[in-house]
Amino acid sequence: MNSTALKWFGRSWMLLVYAFLFLPIFTLVAYSFNDSQLVTVWSHASLRWYKALMQDSDLIAAVMLSLKIAFLSALISVFFGLFSAFALHRYRRFTGRGLLSSLASTPLVMPDVIVGLSLLLMLVSVQQALGYPERGLFTILLGHALLGTAYATVVVRSRLTEMDSKLEEAAMDLGCRPWQVFTLVTLPLLMPALLSAFLLTFTLSFDDVVLSSFLSGPGYSTMPMVIFSRARLGLNPSINALATVTIVIVSVVVIASTLYSLRQDRQRKRDIALAQHE
Amino acid sequence: MENASKSPLANEPLLRIEGVSKIYDGHIKAVDQVTLNVASGEIFALLGGSGCGKSTLLRMLAGFETPSQGRIYLGGTDITELPAYQRPINMMFQSYALFPHLSVSDNIAFGLRRDGMAKEAIAERVEAMLKLVQLSQYAKRKPHQLSGGQQQRVALARSIAKQPKLLLLDEPLGALDKKLRVSTQIELVNIIEEVGVTCVLVTHDQEEAMTMATRMAVMSAGSFLQVGSPKAIYQQPNSRQVADFIGSVNIFDGPVKENHTHYLLVQCADALLRVPSIQACHDGIAVGVAIRPEKMALSRKKPTAKINHVSGVITEMTYFGAHTSYHVKLASGKVLQVQVQSQADEDNADLSWGDQVYVSWGDSAMVLLTQ
Repeated sequence: MNSTALKWFGRSWMLLVYAFLFLPIFTLVAYSFNDSQLVTVWSHASLRWYKALMQDSDLIAAVMLSLKIAFLSALISVFFGLFSAFALHRYRRFTGRGLLSSLASTPLVMPDVIVGLSLLLMLVSVQQALGYPERGLFTILLGHALLGTAYATVVVRSRLTEMDSKLEEAAMDLGCRPWQVFTLVTLPLLMPALLSAFLLTFTLSFDDVVLSSFLSGPGYSTMPMVIFSRARLGLNPSINALATVTIVIVSVVVIASTLYSLRQDRQRKRDIALAQHE
Repeated sequence: MENASKSPLANEPLLRIEGVSKIYDGHIKAVDQVTLNVASGEIFALLGGSGCGKSTLLRMLAGFETPSQGRIYLGGTDITELPAYQRPINMMFQSYALFPHLSVSDNIAFGLRRDGMAKEAIAERVEAMLKLVQLSQYAKRKPHQLSGGQQQRVALARSIAKQPKLLLLDEPLGALDKKLRVSTQIELVNIIEEVGVTCVLVTHDQEEAMTMATRMAVMSAGSFLQVGSPKAIYQQPNSRQVADFIGSVNIFDGPVKENHTHYLLVQCADALLRVPSIQACHDGIAVGVAIRPEKMALSRKKPTAKINHVSGVITEMTYFGAHTSYHVKLASGKVLQVQVQSQADEDNADLSWGDQVYVSWGDSAMVLLTQ
C-alpha cells in the first residue's frame, strides 16, 4: 500500500469511528424535533415533544429528584473522599490502614449489581430490626455516596501524591499549626481536584440506574429509572427532547470549561516565557 | 587540628548540638552522635555526598524530625522537642517550596501573618524584604511567573522575613543552572551578612561550601569527618576521605621507613618522600601523602633537590585558559594530576603528549594522612 492510500485509509477509519460514536446522538437530537408519535419514523419538524416534556410532571419530578440526589451525594462523596484520601496519604501507619485502603477502592471494581444487592439486603434487615430507614431518597443517597466516596478518594489521593510535601513543611516552618497547614495550604491546592471529584461523582450519581433500582422505594424514581422503565413500554419521543436538553447543557459546560482552561494554560505559558526572558 | 566537641568559642554558642543521633527502624543510623557548636553570625556548611545524613541533621534543626538521642539548644534553650511551628528557625527549601496559589508578597507575608502582626507592619516588612532581594516590581506575580533565580530570591525573602535566630538553607543553589550559581552565591552571602542572621547550610557541592561558609563540617555515614574553616580543611585534611572529597588530590601510599623529629621518610612505589611532620608514626605503618595538583610543578630538567620529585610521561593535557591540567603517568602505573598556572607555564609551552617530565613540589605541599 502506498502512502496516499494509507492516508486515505486512516482518514476513513477515523470517520467511521466518529460516525459510530456520534451518529446515534445526532439521530436522537434530530428525532426530538420530529412531529411523529413514533421514534423511528420522520414526519415533519416541530417542538411538540418539548411541549409534552414540559407537561410531563412525572419526568420532571424524576429529573429534580436526580439532580437533588446527584448534588447531595457529590457533596457527601467529596467531603468523605477528602478526609479518607488525606488520612491514607498522610498517615503511613495506623490500625486498619490496609482495610480502609482496600475498602475505599472496592466499590470501583465491584459490579454495581452486587453492591446494590448487598446494600439492599443490609438495609432490609436494618429496617426490620430498627424500623428505619424507609427505602427512598435517603437510601439512594446512601448508595450513591458510597460509590462516589470511592471515586472521590482516588481523585483526591492522586492529587495529594503529586503535591510537593515540602509545601506543607514550609507552611509549618513559617508558623502554621497542623490545622492551619491544612486550611491555608493543603486545601487551596486541592481545590481543582475537589472540583473534578465533585463533577465526577455528580455525573456518576446522575446516570446511575442499577443502584437506584435496588435502593429506591415507592414514589422515588430517578430520571434514569423513569427513562429505563418507559423504554420497556415503548419509547416516547419526549425522552428524546429530555436527552437533547441534557446534551446541550453538558456540552455548554464542557466547552466553556475547556476554553477556560485552555486560556489559563496559554496565559501561564506566556507568563513563564516572559519571566525567563527578563 | 580542630575537633567538633572542642570548638574554640568563648561564650555560649547560638546553636549547640549535643550527641544527636537519628536512628531509623531501630538500626539504620542516619545521623550518628553529632556534636557541634555554631556561633552567632556564622555561616556554617554541612558538606557531604547524598545519604551522608546532612539533610536529616538539617531537618532535625528545623523540627521536621525528632532526634532519637541527644539534645539541640538554641541560644541556651532546649528546643529538641519543640514543634517546627514554634521554633525561631526558618528554612529555605531546595525546591523553594513557594506556595503556588499565593502571590510573591503573600508568600513573604505568610509567616508574618501567622505571628499575628499588625497589617501595616506586615506590609512594611514585606516591602523591605522585596527591596532587599530586588523584586519590588514583581510583588503581585505568582511564583510560576518568575524565573528560577527570582524564585530563589523570593524563597530567601520569605525565610528571613520573620527575622529568625537561625536560617537553614537546603542546597540553596541546587536548582539553579551553573552560570547563575556563581553570581547568586555571592549575592546570597551578601544578603545574609546584611541581615546578620546565623546560618546553617547543607550542600553536596564543595565549591559552594567553600565560597559561602565561614566554617564547615565534612560529613560521611552520619558523622563528622572534620570540622573547620574551608581553608583549614582544604590545606590540612585529616583523612583520605576528606582530602578526596574537597577538591582533587594526589595521594602517594606507602609505609613509614624512618622516623625523625621533624620529618618522616615514607617509601612509596615511585619515590622516597620526606614529609615534614610533628606527628610520630611507628615505622612500617601504612600512610598516605596528599598533594594538591596546583602545588606541583612540571619540568623537563631534573630538579636540583635530591628528594620529593618523581618522573613520568604526560598522557593527557587540557588547556583551561588560566591554567593547564596535565596527567602524568609514573613508572608504577599511578597517574598524577598536575595543574600549572598559565603564566608560570611559559618554560613548558612546548610540553606535549608522551614527553618525559619531572614532577616536583615543596615540603609544605605535603599532608600526612594516617587514616
